[in-house]
Amino acid sequence: MSRSAFRDRDALGAPSPLFDRPATPAGILSSNTGFLRALGAISVVLLIVLPFLDASRYTMSIATSALIYIMLCMGLNVVVGYAGLLDLGYIAFFAVGAYTSGIFTTVLGWPMWAALPATVLACIIAGIIIGAPTLRLRSDYLAIVTLGFGEIIRITANNLDITGGPSGIHGIPTWHFGDWSFADGFTLFGLEFPQRVVFYYFVAAVVVLVGVIGAGRLARGRLGRAWKAVRDDEDAAEAMGINTYIAKIMAYIIGAVWAGLAGQLMATHLSAISPNSFMFLYSALILMAVVLGGMGSTPGVIIGALFVSLAPELLRDFAEWRFLIFGVLLVVVMLFRPSGLWPATAVLPWLKKRRPVPPATAGFVAVPPSTANEDLETVEGEESR
Amino acid sequence: MSALLEVKDLRLQFGGVKAVDGLSFSVEAGEILAVIGPNGAGKTSAFNCISAFYLPTSGSVVFDGKDIVREAPGIFRTLRLVDLLQSFGFYRVLPSRVTKWGMARTFQNLRLFRELSVLDNVKTARHANLREGFWATLLHTPGYRRAEAECAEQARGWLDFVGFTGDENLYVTQLPYGEQRRVEIARALATGPKLLLLDEPAAGLNFNEKQGLMQLIRRIRDLGVAVVLIEHDMGLIMELAERIVVLNYGKEIAVGTPEQIKHDPVVIEAYLGVEDEALDDTKLQTGTVNLSSLDPARPGRTRKGGRS
Repeated sequence: MSRSAFRDRDALGAPSPLFDRPATPAGILSSNTGFLRALGAISVVLLIVLPFLDASRYTMSIATSALIYIMLCMGLNVVVGYAGLLDLGYIAFFAVGAYTSGIFTTVLGWPMWAALPATVLACIIAGIIIGAPTLRLRSDYLAIVTLGFGEIIRITANNLDITGGPSGIHGIPTWHFGDWSFADGFTLFGLEFPQRVVFYYFVAAVVVLVGVIGAGRLARGRLGRAWKAVRDDEDAAEAMGINTYIAKIMAYIIGAVWAGLAGQLMATHLSAISPNSFMFLYSALILMAVVLGGMGSTPGVIIGALFVSLAPELLRDFAEWRFLIFGVLLVVVMLFRPSGLWPATAVLPWLKKRRPVPPATAGFVAVPPSTANEDLETVEGEESR
Repeated sequence: MSALLEVKDLRLQFGGVKAVDGLSFSVEAGEILAVIGPNGAGKTSAFNCISAFYLPTSGSVVFDGKDIVREAPGIFRTLRLVDLLQSFGFYRVLPSRVTKWGMARTFQNLRLFRELSVLDNVKTARHANLREGFWATLLHTPGYRRAEAECAEQARGWLDFVGFTGDENLYVTQLPYGEQRRVEIARALATGPKLLLLDEPAAGLNFNEKQGLMQLIRRIRDLGVAVVLIEHDMGLIMELAERIVVLNYGKEIAVGTPEQIKHDPVVIEAYLGVEDEALDDTKLQTGTVNLSSLDPARPGRTRKGGRS
């Protein structure tokens, strides 16, 4: 190989691949991605079918809040699961989103869709405000600062006039486009969509779908790899040309926007918000959902969010005992699945056996012949003798 | 032509400890330079200064015409603002920037991204050379797909270059140690460097793997990449390095070709202590003091330290 092979390019390029690699399997049962896609498709179908099976106010209300939890957990998953930044005040961004949309629609009288960009912008600013000064902190210190930030937002909301003080904001209007509002409902193919609840369910479903798919795609791209690199080893990430400050602040911003959108969904869903909805308990609950499901794993986080939001409802029969049972369940899960119900590094059980055994360290014999220089040939010659 | 890397009077002090104390050396493009020295001589500290992980107390490191300690927009330099800011601990060049200028490094202890696959580990190093917008990533535009495909191809190319033949989808923790070393070098190469800093690349490798590593380092040099390595294995160094810098107590005590270093009394003293009867006189005179026998990783092994 000549010395000048790659000199003509500015950055050193890689030699083209030399070995034949087996094609990646793509079947539903023979690859992780295929299986996850199939699972995702089934989930979407279930999501659409659910209101046709049971459109009672109660079911729809629980389902909508479960969807909002999923959105929140996907956002926190970006911060905690991908970027590895422990955030104990995540609910603050949820509050920023909810209050921004609430103030813009009630005090300023904007329509809900127009408040959307305002919410996103407010969350980006909030993400930068919390992210920028805490970037140099690691683990425990970061957790404490974010905990403080979460409380600051709640107490501020509790004491400002524009946020309605302790009683919060109520009478948040529904989505309306021109004259038509969700409250009116409509009829399609003979099916009636009368309740506002159903609409909120569908709106939430669409937003959550976009949120889940978007977060997953970001995680698989350049930015996502940077996040994971920062999580696994910050110094090594820096040595690989990743500006870890920018990567971390991007994680904060994305997480904040996701939470803000969830906040707007909740503000319209409940039509009233108060500082009590943004207590530290909820930060802890969301964090728990992410850890329980499996940090950095989309299916895991969704399962965790569903568990945390639905378990108290399903255990309602046990009355006062339900939180005790809830707690015991959590401990049991963490005992048997310490890295979460569906860890990010999980391999489907029936694929485990098919994993090829890594080759015994190949030594220099693995050096492909086309790039071998004279030294190699002599050494190989000596070996074979 | 000026050198690729020029280290001048580099000093690094931790409180009263002088980790690096007036180190100067230079690296030409496309050469293999070894930095050796007894434990605690300041080799890794010097590496960390050069790759901008530590801010040196004083001195300068110029890489490819850029000052790694105080590179800044022109106006800041002319007004001497950088020095002022740095004296208050405010401004420093980030290691990621230095990597973008074309300096890659590996670490003394393996520092791969443990929860990423082998391929993703190497892809991560393409970060600075990859153009993917936020919306393109969200929407999976054709441009994004092309960029990802090219990134994967580059990563595979480097994996092949270092001779990694295993499954690229395995997590790095599933690989044997030697293979992990290989992946780490592939990852450093994927940043597209002009200079590669290897911190004890042969630590923990067996004899065969060390032979492979030597071949690999030579092939990296043949691509036009300068290689600077810290190593304790004298056999490997004597065979591989074109020039050797010997450190002790943070200063360079000798610079020269392997032949010169082998015969340098100062170096022998640094490694073996002051000359006395314990040292075989005849060996000293014939110049075949076997420094490799000092390698703790390979006790008792006496591979000849070079072809003399």
